[in-house]
Amino acid sequence: MSAAWKSAGLTYNRYLTIASRVVRRSLKDDKRLAAERRGESDLRFAKWENGKQGEAKSLNQANESGFAQAAQSS
Amino acid sequence: MLSRAARPAFRVGAAALRPAPACSPLVAQTAGYATLREIEDRLKSIRNIEKITKTMKIVASTKLTRAQKAMNESRVYGETSQKTFEEAETKPIDGEGKKTLLVVCSSDKGLCGGIHSGMSRYVRRQLAAGNLPSDIDIAVLGEKCKAQLSRSNPKNMVLSFSGVGKAIPTFADATAIADQLCLLPTQYDSVKILYNKFVNATAYEPTIIEAFSEEAIKESANFSSFEIDDTVLPSLREYALANSLFWGLAEGHACEQSARRNAMDNASKNAGDMINKFQILFNRTRQAVITGELVEIITGAAASEN
Repeated sequence: MSAAWKSAGLTYNRYLTIASRVVRRSLKDDKRLAAERRGESDLRFAKWENGKQGEAKSLNQANESGFAQAAQSS
Repeated sequence: MLSRAARPAFRVGAAALRPAPACSPLVAQTAGYATLREIEDRLKSIRNIEKITKTMKIVASTKLTRAQKAMNESRVYGETSQKTFEEAETKPIDGEGKKTLLVVCSSDKGLCGGIHSGMSRYVRRQLAAGNLPSDIDIAVLGEKCKAQLSRSNPKNMVLSFSGVGKAIPTFADATAIADQLCLLPTQYDSVKILYNKFVNATAYEPTIIEAFSEEAIKESANFSSFEIDDTVLPSLREYALANSLFWGLAEGHACEQSARRNAMDNASKNAGDMINKFQILFNRTRQAVITGELVEIITGAAASEN
């Protein structure tokens, strides 16, 4: 038995992020502003190969497109 | 003004009495004027530095209380997650041919003493002593340790993250990082998270927490008592990794703020010392210049009497 998000190619962490985002967005306005600040993440990452830094990319976008690809291929 | 008026008289008088060494006190005096101005400028700039460091200290203090609160909250996450593995008696798999990933939790910002270089040095020392395998892969969170480790161990680096430490780390950060680590092509048998453990407001030490691989969890002695389904095992592993990362990030952030507070405290104190020293020097020099002027006037008056 496997959950729907699993067969869609999401990791548990991604599933958590999306679920928590949905919960935060459905809060009332005053609470939502404070809660959404807790869900913010603005990281950039770069892959390294043979001691050289690659191009810096936004982490959230990379995760989203990465899982979109994984979902399409599976 | 008086001194300038008196100077020609002095020069004439002095030249009449002793022609050769007459110019030497004059040179010393003009030098005295210049240093007086220099000292004043210096004093002003040090005062400005003191103002800046004091402000930064206050900012760091306010941030520290919030960071400590976040740290205590995140510690609950991390410790609860770690408790599972303690109860299951999970041991990390070490040995030949096992790939290990080291995640170093630093941040983007400096001006906080040796907190980042302390961690980089710990990594280098452990590598040199052979406690960490030399083919270890390193993922770095934050610019500071990235710059330091990319100079000493560029071959080991696989991933670097920036944008860490602008604000209190969120769980969203931790999950995003954990996902990216899971997407790495290599399968790691053991993930070690290196962070600064918060001992008290002035002390911190680099510490490693283990995030176990699926195999390690499976092979743990007490694993059967948890009745974990094989299909949820990867999820558990990812979630545990995110929990540990969150813990490490939040605790590292609190350490950084307290280190910055201390660094700025010291900087303000040093600036205060320097201000005192320069103030005394300034007063002495000013006094010396006044005395010199008086001597000139008196000598000039005495010389023109004759």
